[in-house]
Amino acid sequence: MGKGKKLVALVIALAMVATMAVGCSGSDDADTTDGGSDAVVIKLGIGAPLTQGAVALGQGIENGAMLAIDDFNAKDLGVEVKPFVVDDQGDPKTGVNVANQLTSDPDVIGVVGHLNSGVSIPAAAVYNEGGIVQVSPASTNPQLTLQGFDNVFRTCTIDPVQGAFAADAAFNTLGLPTAFVVDDSTPYGEGLVDEFVKAFEAAGGTVAGREKTSDKDTDFTALATKINAAAPAAVYYGGVYNAGALFAKQLREGGSDAAFFSGDGVYAQDFIDLAGAANAEGMYCTSVGLPLDQQPQGADFQAKFDAAYPGEGIQAYDTYSYDAALVILSAVEVAIDEVGAENLTSAEGKAAIIAAVAATDIEGVTGAISFDENGDTNNKAITLYVVKDGAWAPN
Amino acid sequence: MGGSKMDIKTKIASGPIPLWKWIMYAVIMVIVVAAPIYFQSVQNFFFVRIFAVVGIYVMLSLGLNIVVGYAGLLDLGYIAFYAMGAYVGIILGFKLPEVFGSGFEPWTFWTLLPVAALAAAGTGIALGTPVLRLRGDYLAIVTLGFGEIVRIALNNNIFGITNGAKGLPGPGQRIPTPAGMEWAKANLSFGDFAFSKDLFWYYLIVVLCLATIFVVRRLDDSRLGRAWVAMREDEVAAASIGISITTTKLWAFSLGALWGGVAGVTYAYWVGFISPESFNFMESVLVVCMVVLGGMGSIPGAVLGAVIIAALPEMIRYFAQSPLLAGVLTTDQANLASQYRYLVFGAAMVIMMAFRPQGILPSQRRAMELHPEDEKTLAEENQQIWDVEHHTDVDNDLL
Amino acid sequence: MPLTRVLVGARGSTKAFPLISLEQLEETGETQVSIATIGQQLVNGVTLGGMYALIALGYTLVYGILLMINFAHSEMFMGGAFVGLFAFGWLDNYEFFTGSGFGIALMFLMTFVISGVVIGLLGVLIERVAYRPLRHAPRLAPLISAIGMSIFLQQAVLLWITPRQVPFPNYLPAGSYEIAGISINNIQIMIIGSSIILLIILDTFVSKTRIGKAMRAVSQDREAATLMGVDINRVIAVAFFIGPALGALAGIFSGMYYGSIKFDMGFIPGVKAFTAAVIGGIGNLRGAMVGGFLLGIIEALAAGFLSSGYKDVVAFAILILVLVFKPSGLLGESVVEKV
Repeated sequence: MGKGKKLVALVIALAMVATMAVGCSGSDDADTTDGGSDAVVIKLGIGAPLTQGAVALGQGIENGAMLAIDDFNAKDLGVEVKPFVVDDQGDPKTGVNVANQLTSDPDVIGVVGHLNSGVSIPAAAVYNEGGIVQVSPASTNPQLTLQGFDNVFRTCTIDPVQGAFAADAAFNTLGLPTAFVVDDSTPYGEGLVDEFVKAFEAAGGTVAGREKTSDKDTDFTALATKINAAAPAAVYYGGVYNAGALFAKQLREGGSDAAFFSGDGVYAQDFIDLAGAANAEGMYCTSVGLPLDQQPQGADFQAKFDAAYPGEGIQAYDTYSYDAALVILSAVEVAIDEVGAENLTSAEGKAAIIAAVAATDIEGVTGAISFDENGDTNNKAITLYVVKDGAWAPN
Repeated sequence: MGGSKMDIKTKIASGPIPLWKWIMYAVIMVIVVAAPIYFQSVQNFFFVRIFAVVGIYVMLSLGLNIVVGYAGLLDLGYIAFYAMGAYVGIILGFKLPEVFGSGFEPWTFWTLLPVAALAAAGTGIALGTPVLRLRGDYLAIVTLGFGEIVRIALNNNIFGITNGAKGLPGPGQRIPTPAGMEWAKANLSFGDFAFSKDLFWYYLIVVLCLATIFVVRRLDDSRLGRAWVAMREDEVAAASIGISITTTKLWAFSLGALWGGVAGVTYAYWVGFISPESFNFMESVLVVCMVVLGGMGSIPGAVLGAVIIAALPEMIRYFAQSPLLAGVLTTDQANLASQYRYLVFGAAMVIMMAFRPQGILPSQRRAMELHPEDEKTLAEENQQIWDVEHHTDVDNDLL
Repeated sequence: MPLTRVLVGARGSTKAFPLISLEQLEETGETQVSIATIGQQLVNGVTLGGMYALIALGYTLVYGILLMINFAHSEMFMGGAFVGLFAFGWLDNYEFFTGSGFGIALMFLMTFVISGVVIGLLGVLIERVAYRPLRHAPRLAPLISAIGMSIFLQQAVLLWITPRQVPFPNYLPAGSYEIAGISINNIQIMIIGSSIILLIILDTFVSKTRIGKAMRAVSQDREAATLMGVDINRVIAVAFFIGPALGALAGIFSGMYYGSIKFDMGFIPGVKAFTAAVIGGIGNLRGAMVGGFLLGIIEALAAGFLSSGYKDVVAFAILILVLVFKPSGLLGESVVEKV
């Protein structure tokens, strides 16, 4: 019974172990080859979902932060920044593990991340313990900066701002009196919908119904039929583009012509591609900040991005991720003057970086960046987008 | 771990414990106690965290081992008890200081540890009662359904106390720090070595794991433990010699659930944030994998299974991205290697099962038992006996 | 035209337990439910159920013969969708297939066959590599092997194809028909029609052909079947070909119906289909079909008239009830305990 097969499997297993062993033994003397240049090497952590969850947005966060790192290294300040990219899979437990991986590397002086609020919130406690700064480009749940940590910041604005903006746009601007709200059972989606409902009802709108779905669901046909029967003027979805696109598609194909509204989680080209351009046409979403072409340095960023990642599209948080990295790296520049380049990775250096981030007052791609006492950005711009000719366009 | 006790079974099976085993246990104990201190002192928080995570899974694995390994009931919803412990612990944790005043805060965790455990055990009985009649895989799917029901109920903010998908603690809520933590932080830090929160929880988890091992070990040799084994091997025969199947199954469910609850409340207070997405079906599956991969019904097996499954993917990622390999792999290659970890992990599970279908460290008692699955062996033995009795092995073509 | 009025509970209030309660009824008032809405939900449910049934057959075939839960079966569904994507992409290059109605029909047929055969062979391969060495192992060992295989296949697609959710083409001409206020579109007709036809073919295959009879014999009593001269390896290989092939077709249907596919798309339908197989009585082909359609309908009605957030709770609660009152499923034969 399968002796040969077992042998083959054994050989493969041994080969795997051997590769690992060779890898380990080879590394002892390898460290020395690295220190060729005189520059002090520090690392910037980048945490985002790269293999599971909202991968398109996660890869965008990585891309944006990488650009900022390249810009910093081009300045040649005697400090070389290396990226330390970790994949949080959009999962809280993995998120805390990778957060510890980052704090365990003494060279890591700060973290750009994470995407999901559910990941950022528990990870923040780890960064706080480790004494390094965390700047999230995308976590919009208010709880993140309300935990009493002085090292946690974000360059995107928060759900109450976004939910209220969407409610205002739906009720006042577009004159939609009733809304059916649906969330994806994630801290992000549920939080956003809560805020939308609060503001929509305060404005005088009627919530025709509220339903929960899962971010891993594929079948929304029954819900679509139900919504269709309730005939609301608008449907508000709190969630990310993966499931959101399926929901939007099934809603339209189920015959509903209610205005579709959502948050920054669907502000990605993938949403339109997955829902089908015809279905997505005319759907709305709000996203943090100004549209790229209205952002102060939007055109520059576009040019840089196209040069570095030809053929890839800019995703929702790329500029926020760039700015998050920029905030940390600008703080590094301040800290170099204060404590000296060689002390950046000491506890003192990391504390100086946190202090410098808190005092940030710079022009980023997304506009002027400064933080309030919680660590939330003072740039509270939100834009309403609509799908026009198969692409998101500012309304 | 836990090898110091000897009993009739081990005596019969292997005589006195050989010296190498004593040495091995001693080495393991030293690693368990000393390694995190070392990692903490070199600021490697990741390893401290992984050690503690593994500890939580060791508890879960040992708890599920009672249900799956001893009693032979496949439970695919075990994580529900873990969730129950975590949520009961956290929700009551907000209430207790309100009732007894804020001076009670440090004692909240210590009070709730047994409470959460009992709540989980109670849930185990509540689930176990209606489904006891079910066998094998029917039971598995029902427990799976139960686990999903619990998760979805938490997600839907059931009774308005779980804060839905947003998780706990919500705005304005705070998880109390247990008594002892501040003392340890203040008195056990020397120079550069800071006794951290994670280290405190780690040692607490180790103590709880040892307690679990002790209890499970005693159960194994008890009347109840033997009843489980008898029931697992043949329910009808077990019932016929006077074992109450209902009671025995309920004990298995509730005792297994108990340890799930202990692990849950500990995890919740340690991490300080829980949300329903942490208690999904895949977690249940992973715990089952730990038990089976390690060797069903075997305590060292359950521990080893937990260590492998909880730590292996994390270790692959860590080493791929660690400075150790910085000269060998470029950043891109390191990221790629860390992305392959689950692929390797999946393949490793298949390969390991092919080599050791009974698990890596199977229980000696199970190994000695007859398995109805071993039809081939049985058939061969029967054939041999028949051959011997009828002398067919000699020139049977002639007859 | 409201033909009937049914009282329905609050629609997923998050503040309290959102099943039917009197206060909530007063708060939210009544919801008008027309026959048309119920009919529409039935169409939704039957479509979903058709896919569940196709997947459930794979679980039940393997379980009937090997008494193991083939956890990797959900990846056959996912793999089928990806092979289907590539097959469509390849055939799309040829004018012949896209030009005419006949060409499109042929393209569908070829895609189904390619995906079915590729995934069917993959199923056979997996059995050889991962399960056959474990045939005499303790019962849970193959389960773990299957879980490992499932993780491996998902990761393989993630790493070597794409981690993203990708659009799936739909060559079926758009079109929907409305009968008494119930609308049904071409894809739904195709899914419901093909699943029923495939189920009938399989049922005939198992009851009429020689190998089908052998399969039933093996599932009843493996040893006795072996003694009667049934080649058990062949029977297992056939089961491991048919199950995954049907799962692959369900994957293509799913891709066309929902418009996109992803490496982890198999997980939830896999769990649901397994549930369906158990409701119907695992090991029983007709049971899997009944269970699949039933589960799809239950889910649609629960989401449509109770709460979308609790639809899985309703599905699992019904599962538990079925098993409590009929421990071997709806159509399962009660096994007489061998003493």
